[in-house]
Amino acid sequence: MDPLSRLRATLLPTGLVLLALAGALAVLATGPLAATPDALLAAMIGRGAPEAELALALRGPRLLAALTCGAALAGAGAGFQILFRNPLASPDLLGVSSGAGLGAAVALLLGAGAALVQGAAFVGGLAAGALALACAALTRSGDDRLALILCGIVAGALASAGLGLVVVVAEPYSQLPSITYWLLGSFTRATLTEAVGALVPVGLGAGVLIWLGFRLDILSLGDEQARSLGLPARPMRLLALAAAALMTSSAVAVAGVVGWIGLLGPHAARLIVGEQAGRLIPAAMSIGAIFALVIDRLATAFGPSEIPVGLLSAAIGAPAFLMLFVATSRRS
Amino acid sequence: MSGLRLEGLVAGRRGFRLPPLDLTVAPGEVLALIGPNGAGKTTLLKTLAGLLPPMAGTVVHAGAPAWLPPPGAVSAGFSTLHLTALGRAPLRRWSPGLTAEDIGTARAALARLDVDDLADRPFNRLSSGQQQLVLIARLFVQDAPVCLLDEPLALLDPAHARAVETAIRALAAEGRIVVASTHHLPFAARCDRVLAISPDGMEVEPPVRALTPDRVRALFGVEVTGCPCCGQALG
Repeated sequence: MDPLSRLRATLLPTGLVLLALAGALAVLATGPLAATPDALLAAMIGRGAPEAELALALRGPRLLAALTCGAALAGAGAGFQILFRNPLASPDLLGVSSGAGLGAAVALLLGAGAALVQGAAFVGGLAAGALALACAALTRSGDDRLALILCGIVAGALASAGLGLVVVVAEPYSQLPSITYWLLGSFTRATLTEAVGALVPVGLGAGVLIWLGFRLDILSLGDEQARSLGLPARPMRLLALAAAALMTSSAVAVAGVVGWIGLLGPHAARLIVGEQAGRLIPAAMSIGAIFALVIDRLATAFGPSEIPVGLLSAAIGAPAFLMLFVATSRRS
Repeated sequence: MSGLRLEGLVAGRRGFRLPPLDLTVAPGEVLALIGPNGAGKTTLLKTLAGLLPPMAGTVVHAGAPAWLPPPGAVSAGFSTLHLTALGRAPLRRWSPGLTAEDIGTARAALARLDVDDLADRPFNRLSSGQQQLVLIARLFVQDAPVCLLDEPLALLDPAHARAVETAIRALAAEGRIVVASTHHLPFAARCDRVLAISPDGMEVEPPVRALTPDRVRALFGVEVTGCPCCGQALG
């Protein structure tokens, strides 16, 4: 690699990560309880003014949740897109989002508290993903990818049916609004514990995907190429799928169902850093984090009642995705 | 390297079995695999590569073999140089990533086949002929003792076919075993031995005996004076 493209390869992903962190500071420095960046940095190491500490304590968890979820959804989306060699693969390919929605809805129906709802959503998402993987393992299909996509659709459909049932039996004045609100997605309910509770599994999943790096590139060539290049293709594919499902599940458990980030992040990243997994995944995660940050900032920007981020991400993400697609197709 | 040894090997998949095969291939040898479509060339190659389990018998080789599908079957959006460097994956199975040395080896292999100017282009944007040369460069990088090539000359124009054949010769000249299926009989005629697969059985012979007009007619069921795929004279 010539020095220029080597520089580009390392600088671009690093730059995107820094941009996401700078964006977080910028969000804290504007809006309610605004504090200057230097006061915020001082507060982070415990030497800040009381106002800055208050801003950090009240707005920090929500910000952390937005960054974590945006990064998780975009990273998982990039992982799935590489593994399935399909630019339309999204983080809920294995039915994880629907499963998490069902888990949360059931917990809300039973009157559980916030922490329990998050836990139920996490377990529901992982259960749907595990169901899809197990069904795919049962098939003796020649094409592993097709089996996984079909089983993901089946797991997602089952979870959606269950969710529909919960919505029908839910008490329309007290329970239904909270279930609907949960399903539309929001970072509002995140406390510090919940945000950190998501950060840990997301970090684990992202670590696995980033470590897989060039191995993901090989898996994208198909199992036969991977095996003839000496990789244990099936276990590695399973590991990557599990890591991506873990990331999606943790994000959905905190934020509810927030679409489009997982599709938009990887596509935008691909335009900037190219297709190589080792660069694409960190870049996609940074862009997803920035996008989540922006839509969360917009959610509170128009008056006292918040717009659900799930709605905003679709309203902004869908046209942005179309623009990206047009830009990419014109370039090639 | 001690070569490739097949002992009573029965290759096949559900509903399809080839007759048992006993064969030893020496290091440096290029073995051509010929026969009509559906005779079992790809099945045999995949069994040798360990991608399909043998139905009976054993395959003994000096080390993990490398396998290439026909031209156009590999699709990758990342750079040609990165794809070539992935040939080092068997050495880097559990390491954090590819090293600068791997990239250097890949670049040298591309230069050796005179395709280093393609290094930074996305692999998908190359022509079939360029892609095939790059994949053979990856075989040099992978440095497997046995290279199994499924129709390495299919879809290629005469110039690229010649370049690929030269590269295949170079792979063998360094002591590797090359087994390549082909419909291009002039190539088979220049290989060291020919394994003809037909529904009636398998035979391994030197090209002069395997490619006589009578044998070609019996194998493919067509009356030709030259190569059944392009009319080129044999030998």
